[in-house]
Amino acid sequence: MERIILDNKIPLVLKENKNTPRHALCFYFKITEPEKKAGIYTILNRLFLQGTKNRDAHTLAQELDENAIDCYSEMKQDFIRFKLQCLNEDFEKGLEILADIIKNSTLDDFNKEVIKLKGEIQAELDEPKTMAMNAFYSHIFKEHPYGHTYTNILRDIDSITKADVQAAYKSLVEHSPKVISLVGDFGGEDVTGLLKKYFQDIKNNTDCVINNAVPELEKTEIVKVTKDDASQAQIIQGWRVPTIFDKDYAAIMVMNTLLGASGLSSRLFLELRDKKGLAYVVRSSYEIYDHSALFNVYIATEPKNIKTSLEGFKIELDKVKNIPVSETELQNAKNNLMGKRQFFTETNLQQSGLMAYYEDKGLGADFEQRFNSMINDVTVEDIQRVANAYITDKYVLTVLAPQKYLKEM
Amino acid sequence: MENITKKEINYPYLTQPVEIYERENGHKIVLAHKEGGLVNVSSWVKTGSINETDADNGISHFLEHLMFKGTHKHKAGYFDRTLEAKGAIVNAATWKDYTFYYVTLPKGPDNAYLKEAIELHADMMLDPVIPEEEIGPAFKLGDDNVSQKRERHVVIEEIRMRQDQPWTKIYNSTNFNMYSKHPYKRDVIGFPETIASIPRETILNYYKTHYTPNNITTIVAGDFDTKEVLELVCKGFDFKGRANFENPVHELDNPVNEPKYIELKGKINTGFAITGWLGPVASDLKENIALEIVNIVLGEGQSSRLYQNLIEKASEPVFNIVTTDFYNFKDGGNFFVQANYKAEQKDRALELINKELTAFLNGDMTEREFNKAKKKLKARFAESAETVSDIAENIGYYMTVCGDLNLVEQYNSTLEEITIDTVNTIANKYLDLNHAVTTVLLPE
Repeated sequence: MERIILDNKIPLVLKENKNTPRHALCFYFKITEPEKKAGIYTILNRLFLQGTKNRDAHTLAQELDENAIDCYSEMKQDFIRFKLQCLNEDFEKGLEILADIIKNSTLDDFNKEVIKLKGEIQAELDEPKTMAMNAFYSHIFKEHPYGHTYTNILRDIDSITKADVQAAYKSLVEHSPKVISLVGDFGGEDVTGLLKKYFQDIKNNTDCVINNAVPELEKTEIVKVTKDDASQAQIIQGWRVPTIFDKDYAAIMVMNTLLGASGLSSRLFLELRDKKGLAYVVRSSYEIYDHSALFNVYIATEPKNIKTSLEGFKIELDKVKNIPVSETELQNAKNNLMGKRQFFTETNLQQSGLMAYYEDKGLGADFEQRFNSMINDVTVEDIQRVANAYITDKYVLTVLAPQKYLKEM
Repeated sequence: MENITKKEINYPYLTQPVEIYERENGHKIVLAHKEGGLVNVSSWVKTGSINETDADNGISHFLEHLMFKGTHKHKAGYFDRTLEAKGAIVNAATWKDYTFYYVTLPKGPDNAYLKEAIELHADMMLDPVIPEEEIGPAFKLGDDNVSQKRERHVVIEEIRMRQDQPWTKIYNSTNFNMYSKHPYKRDVIGFPETIASIPRETILNYYKTHYTPNNITTIVAGDFDTKEVLELVCKGFDFKGRANFENPVHELDNPVNEPKYIELKGKINTGFAITGWLGPVASDLKENIALEIVNIVLGEGQSSRLYQNLIEKASEPVFNIVTTDFYNFKDGGNFFVQANYKAEQKDRALELINKELTAFLNGDMTEREFNKAKKKLKARFAESAETVSDIAENIGYYMTVCGDLNLVEQYNSTLEEITIDTVNTIANKYLDLNHAVTTVLLPE
């Protein structure tokens, strides 16, 4: 892996993988100005493929497809990132199109995109799981942009103007900290030169301070969502926990793995699915953002099992808090976590994505190499300590079910 | 060493040929070499809902769950725990023509993890106990006093999950109505009533009947020594003289004679629709490629016709989503148009889709659209050669559904030779509007 600072101050992290047919590039733009209305960045993100000064939406889509170039932008809580993936011989073509999208998007289709977005959100909200997740995130993050879920976007969207989106675009291109990562078989090609050629005029903003603190969660909140024809109840219980920059990051990762993220052998899976037959899907997750993180447990179960499932969660969470895990279970969870990294970094795009992700967070693109030693250092006491520190009575519990089961809760 | 035949296939974007071995008993072993630290071990069994009846619908998938419940050598949980503690992803899937089981994991120091994965995988495939206490007692649906809720309940929860998904609901209805006799008409997962009551004996018999040497292909993909791995697979897969199964030939269904329309209601806000047609058998490479081209041109991605004409250029919003899909099956694939639209515009939505299809069937595909689709299909091979799991899955599909891995070798030349006229002829052969089945789901 190599790290170069381009003339425009953007860090470029490079890795060469011989004998791979496709180049994979990621270009991160950190969001520095939190959106005031839910949906501004979502609309901007969608407009990136809807036409530039040189290509209308149809020409753009056609040109990408004709060259089998995957090029798209993704909006996450803290950044918008562009991903470019194409056969080695088409790399320069891909770069030229990507540069055109980043620099010259017209946003002309604003009105059309707003209508399309509203329609797609309505279709999504016909899925019970999406409905439940929507309610959960908007409650656990309140009015913070992390809580700008589908229903909040529908609430605000008609007050968003094209000028709002233009301002967000300007802020992103001119003011945001940026990172580029590239993985592929370069075969002697001057990739740095190519990146200079297409991105020289985009400036980096390295000394930007982002003020985007997430309000504390003060107490238990129970959110009930009615869906009378649901065959399953959707249950999500989540806590706000420290993020990747914290000393407890590795311990929470291991705790999450052994509780509900290792696959078929995690505690929640064994106890709630295998032994009690409560669910097909039951798991935990540790979701990491720049200014906060969540530890969640999730189950989908027959509505009459709501109480048993919540008790099942409590039993398993109390166990982690009160009974030290065995050395064997701890080691198994660590090995699972470290071994699976290979699975998540098999392709050039996955590697490129992860390198840019760490670089963007200021952890260094080589963070992955330090990951294993951090995980190895986690002790039995650490697991018990973080469980007690963070799995408290300040949580959001969301339950979607038919009305009659919600009343009984 | 036993008598074993060997063939080699050139797989696009892999640096070495893929080796296919066939043992005397009919068990096939395919080895695909790819550099890197990850390996994939899988076995594909030639059974799925194609071998089911109304009485045992769902048994293939239920058995897939129960295969993880221990062997005579290792108790339930040992397989998952041991391999996941090495960073493995362990899972299985059941579909109409096949059931497959896989492990993806780091190969380990001196390939130690790979070797252990092969041993455990072979043990699971050949010696499952399927214990009564893991299946759980049979029960009557709706009985709240069931004490031992075990795997029957897990599968019933999986069925419930699917009942809540609008797309799954209308897919099942369209699929059911496209067939008259063929077993493909049934939903792979089956019904709660069947899963609640099916006896262990029936499941064991089903296992013994279908998990036979001639019905299984074992695939190893990754970086390893051929001789060592081949010996390990042969040793692990000791069928102890298990009799082979002759797979029945099912009569192919004719499509419906006139358009068929089904309307369902639900507590939703938007309208959903799926229109489906019967397609060519999977082993007919040319016809399958032709419909893959139609799929890309009509309904894949933002440059596709349906997206451009019905969403991007729409004068008033009718559609939220409109795409197409093409599934490949041994006895004939399915082509689908899927749409989500403003519920009150249902008639207009269906009319607009028909108009687009009619124009396409009249042969107005442009050279540019055709070439785009060809380029995308070529790039797909590069994509599928990037991970050991995708390589293995692609091989499993060709071996099990098409019965022929040579098709992989012929794919690019067949694609090269196909013409726009051929694609139009094949599209007209299968996608006749009079042969279409449509299900819509609307708000109550």
